[in-house]
Amino acid sequence: MAVVDPSVASIVKAKPDNRRARAGWGLVAPALTLMALILLVPIIVACVLSFTNYSLGNPGFDWVGVQNYERLFTRSSYEKMFIATFTYVVTVVPISVGLGLGAALLVHSLGRIGEVYKTIYFLPVMATLLAMAIAWEFMLHPTIGMVNRTLELTCGTWFEALPFFANGCAEGFPLWLGDRDYAIWVVCFIGIWQGFGFNMVLFLAGLTSVHRELYHAAEMDGARSAWERFRLVTWPALGPTTVFVVTISCIRAFQVFDTIEAFWPQGGGPNKSAYVMMFAIFEKGIQQNLIGIGSAITMLFLLFVMFLTLIQRWLVERKVHY
Amino acid sequence: MTRDWWKHMVLILGTIIVLAPFYMMVSYSFKSPGEIDRGEGGFFGRQEMMIDPRCVALRQPDRADIEAARARFAGQDDANVQAALLAETEASCSMRPVVFNYSKAFTEAPLVRYLLNGVIVTVSIFLIQVVVALPAAYALAKLKFWGRDAVFGLVLFCLLIPVHAIALPLYIGLAKLGLTNTYAALVVPWTISVFGIFLMRQFFMTVPDDLIDAARMDGMSELAIVWRVMLPTAVPALLAFAIFSVVAHWNDYFWPRIVVTGNRDLFTPPLGLREFKGDGDGSFFGPMMATATVIVTPLIVAFLLAQRRFIEGITLSGMK
Repeated sequence: MAVVDPSVASIVKAKPDNRRARAGWGLVAPALTLMALILLVPIIVACVLSFTNYSLGNPGFDWVGVQNYERLFTRSSYEKMFIATFTYVVTVVPISVGLGLGAALLVHSLGRIGEVYKTIYFLPVMATLLAMAIAWEFMLHPTIGMVNRTLELTCGTWFEALPFFANGCAEGFPLWLGDRDYAIWVVCFIGIWQGFGFNMVLFLAGLTSVHRELYHAAEMDGARSAWERFRLVTWPALGPTTVFVVTISCIRAFQVFDTIEAFWPQGGGPNKSAYVMMFAIFEKGIQQNLIGIGSAITMLFLLFVMFLTLIQRWLVERKVHY
Repeated sequence: MTRDWWKHMVLILGTIIVLAPFYMMVSYSFKSPGEIDRGEGGFFGRQEMMIDPRCVALRQPDRADIEAARARFAGQDDANVQAALLAETEASCSMRPVVFNYSKAFTEAPLVRYLLNGVIVTVSIFLIQVVVALPAAYALAKLKFWGRDAVFGLVLFCLLIPVHAIALPLYIGLAKLGLTNTYAALVVPWTISVFGIFLMRQFFMTVPDDLIDAARMDGMSELAIVWRVMLPTAVPALLAFAIFSVVAHWNDYFWPRIVVTGNRDLFTPPLGLREFKGDGDGSFFGPMMATATVIVTPLIVAFLLAQRRFIEGITLSGMK
């Protein structure tokens, strides 16, 4: 009687496992459902709609093939969209990463006193961007703004030797947001202003993990100047952080919207010079109800962002050390 | 210190540029329209009494008022009575610029309502995110079941998708369901935080199995373990996630702009501020900056009080 039937034993043993498996599925089920409904299905829907001329409220729609995509690559307003988006990304990413790294190195080298700067530089990251965009709009206001008022102070001083100031004093300083030569750069400036503190904090976290001994070792090997120590020790050690910071900055830069919409609710800046992708999706897809074309932009957008993230994963997995 | 002077110079220059718009925002919220126009008054403005033209226009003394007041100004003709009444109105409509700006911010638009909406939306988003993510994270970290790796792979894939980018199809879905212009529209797309699942899973991996086994011995169900054993251990990670989530959604402008159109009762703080911008003329710069100050302040103050936590929480979003 002491011999237990092996099959019974296996059932007894399997039972809690089975229960746990069911519990496991039960626990992930809500998350899984929402993930599918909110993240995956929409991508498929966008993909399908990008080949149609669907608009909300119409009963039917026609398949238009790649016509939407063709438009994106042939019409001049979309050319402006790509130019504006890439100008923004290509300007904001390197400068905000560079400034973030520079600020982190300075703050780190100052020790405890540096913490004050860290707090201050992080403030724009916390502040509601829309509110700050409006504050910047006032700063840049041609008549009551602080920027032009400050610039006017230079009139009559040696600054006037510079063409920009001479011109400004004679004919008035730029309208900034109303001038197509300046508009996108002003938006870039605000993007950098808002985001570099975040990069600085990430670099600071990276810097604290660099071992002191490495610097000593480098000094023994003859790296005397600060620059040599940076090149040989700090920069390689920050490799993974840098990859990470650059990717994050790119993704955030691609998603710029608040400032653009706050400054030019009617259409992407003077002469569409600040017509970025996120704004184009909003304008075409939601305001004008041209869902096909909006979906096509969405798909391109997703492609860019996923591509960037995959490059990052790949670089990190190779454990970049330059 | 002497050796580092140039570092301070550079960093102070940066500080000036970083703080300039904050300085201007707060300063303008104190000043009268005239001072803003002429760029006078230093930081706080001179705080001289000013007359609110709208208030005067609304209470312009009419025929009936003059008749009613005749008794008080015995023996004077109508023009004099009217002038005296007008002076009274102006006196009752005059106030300090700072009072004017902040009271206008709260009365001209239902700012309290906007702030309340901001709180309702951010808090419900966070709570639902936790309720959904925590059990999933526990299952992915501590339970062995068939298909678990596939589910986790899916989580990693979803981390690639920025929710802002799929706004259009989400909007169509919500419009089809007739949910635009509801709280649901503001909350639903954010109920799933893949990043939250990922973060909590990494955290739960470090929790010893013995703790869970002991709970099972006590006869707890798996769901009970999630809430009564795992949740208390996860408080630090949850706090970081809460900061990340609340900051992101309090400041979010893009999504509310899409799904809330026209219905002022649902405006979140950034939308309310935008409304102000839309209908304000020159004299509204002060009240507008007061509104901006009011919506920026809560997070900034919280940040200054608990910097380390905030920086941790926000930096985590980097992983997104």
